[in-house]
Amino acid sequence: MEKNHRRILAALPLAMVIFLVLGGPRRAGAVPVFSRKYQTSCQTCHAIFPKLNPFGEAFRLNGYRMPLETPEQVKQPPVSLGSEAYERIWPEMVYPSDLPSYVPLAINVKMADIYASSHDDSGKQIVHNDFQFPQEANLFSAGTLGKHFSFFGEVTFEETPDGGNDVGIEHARLDVDSAFGPEHLFNFKIGKFAPDLYDGFQEMWLMTDNGVDTLFAFSPIGVHGGTGLSEEGPGVSLPDRMRAIEMYGVAAHRLFYTVGYGSPIGPGGPNDTFGSSSRKDFYARVDYKFGGMGLDGDTTGVTLPPENWRETSVRVGALGYYGDGSQADPFDVTDEEGNAFKMRDNHYGRIGAYASLYVGDLNLFGVALHGTDKLQLSDPDTLAEIDTTTRTYDAWFAQADYVIVPPFQVSLRYENLRVADPVTPTIKTLNANASFLIRANIKAMIEYNRDLRDSENYTLATVLRFAY
Amino acid sequence: MKKILIALTAAAATLPLSAGDIHGKLACKGAKDCAEAVVYVAAIPGKTFPAPAAHAKMNQLNMTFVPHVLPVQVGTTVDFLNSDAVLHNVFTPDACAGKFNLGTWPKGQSKSYTFTKECNATLLCKVHPEMEAFVVAVPTPYFAAVHGDGSYQIADVPDGAYTVKVWHPKMKAKEKPAKVAGPTELDFELSR
Repeated sequence: MEKNHRRILAALPLAMVIFLVLGGPRRAGAVPVFSRKYQTSCQTCHAIFPKLNPFGEAFRLNGYRMPLETPEQVKQPPVSLGSEAYERIWPEMVYPSDLPSYVPLAINVKMADIYASSHDDSGKQIVHNDFQFPQEANLFSAGTLGKHFSFFGEVTFEETPDGGNDVGIEHARLDVDSAFGPEHLFNFKIGKFAPDLYDGFQEMWLMTDNGVDTLFAFSPIGVHGGTGLSEEGPGVSLPDRMRAIEMYGVAAHRLFYTVGYGSPIGPGGPNDTFGSSSRKDFYARVDYKFGGMGLDGDTTGVTLPPENWRETSVRVGALGYYGDGSQADPFDVTDEEGNAFKMRDNHYGRIGAYASLYVGDLNLFGVALHGTDKLQLSDPDTLAEIDTTTRTYDAWFAQADYVIVPPFQVSLRYENLRVADPVTPTIKTLNANASFLIRANIKAMIEYNRDLRDSENYTLATVLRFAY
Repeated sequence: MKKILIALTAAAATLPLSAGDIHGKLACKGAKDCAEAVVYVAAIPGKTFPAPAAHAKMNQLNMTFVPHVLPVQVGTTVDFLNSDAVLHNVFTPDACAGKFNLGTWPKGQSKSYTFTKECNATLLCKVHPEMEAFVVAVPTPYFAAVHGDGSYQIADVPDGAYTVKVWHPKMKAKEKPAKVAGPTELDFELSR
């Protein structure tokens, strides 16, 4: 049994490299729809796409509206679906709205040459040099629908090595912006989306090609607790997208909050349901930003440099996630000897802290997350309980993004994951990125990702992205 | 426009000979221009003006109201002509214009309404909710629509002391005192 366990451990680095090269989620996030609408450059909102600058963050949180937006800023005037005066006579007539005058579509294409090195159980080095031309294409749609509604959608097309195609709805959501009360305070979104629980570190808004897999792709499920990364489950530490209802807002320009209620993490359930349990997961986050531009774009009393990626600010936040999987379908697991079991994640909780520091051209940010899973092991046939144990894991990362000059920016990230299985070594990775904006909407990147547990496991990705 | 000029001329004929004008420029902060503003002399205590006999006209053409802003003197009857091949309607939600609803009528026909009170009336078409226009009914015959460059001129204003007001569909209304003695310059700055 010990020998088998070791063999599994030896295979983990290889599995991780394969995951990073072939299975890792790489999602895009620049939306040129807004460049057209406002006739403005990508760099109004992005330090280097898809990473948002403080103004872009405010634009996003404002429901895709400029801070204190005036109609004159919108260079593609919307199609009126009713004069504003109908507001006064509602519900005698339909409440007025508008829609984008052009079909609000944008395309993002990514091509990558992935050079990967790893070694198998016998120590033999395996090298891949893979042209992924294209790696994916994203179709975006985003905009506003009158004064209080906005929307965001993304469909991703990917080619698979076997000649097939994957198409997925990454985002599809409707937002209600400033629904009532003070402006920016009460906003709602419904649909499938990246929760604002991850604001500032979700892959969609990172300048790097790789996401923070130690946060989003760790599987806590295993006979002794989770051992590594797995995109397809069983179970994940945090869902990078959710089918959920979220409320969020900004108070006093600098306090950000979000609370959400959504489908449980893990695989879907029977009868084409997206959750195998009727119970829903909850999440919440509270942040405060000191200095710099307000989270709603407010600049009262603040002097900001003309270089819109620069400011001096600190943002700190606390986040939590909770789910009850006691009514969910159990996961299939096997022990070191191949014996099959069923396992439920009866209760799972995550608590974490986020911090982001801007000083001139440097943005240093990171997250520390502690996870707890109450795992119930059962007989595969009778589902009789064999054992219930509580496992914990800790993940954290720190990332430094630096603007050397606007077209040339670099990033360095360290990730550390103490997995739930106590005998499995801690996962440590280093991710280094050099990005070059060939044009405002064309970007080339070289990204090096190394598994620090084994010097032969690394990937070197050369990526070309463009958006239009 | 021609009828407005006739009305203005008729009103001017009843005024003292020592008439000047009020002219100036408007700046609209945060807007492309001030083209839809109306500048007018507010009600003059103790003075009334007869309702103009001539009708003003607002057209419904290519599914828009033309003009978008129509200033008239209180008492003016406005004829709403449908020049489109589709049915149009005109109504207003504003109490100062009696919340009138003129029904629907086909191409080539018109319906009328007399604005008996000072009013900034929003005009809408129930058949086409995106259509919108304004009739600005002012208490004196001394008014002017502002040009695209922000300039305006109210002609033939008798010498005296007045309050001059500005209305704009998107901006906050503003007023200023004016002492007219011959040509008098009066500028405004509007904001949202």
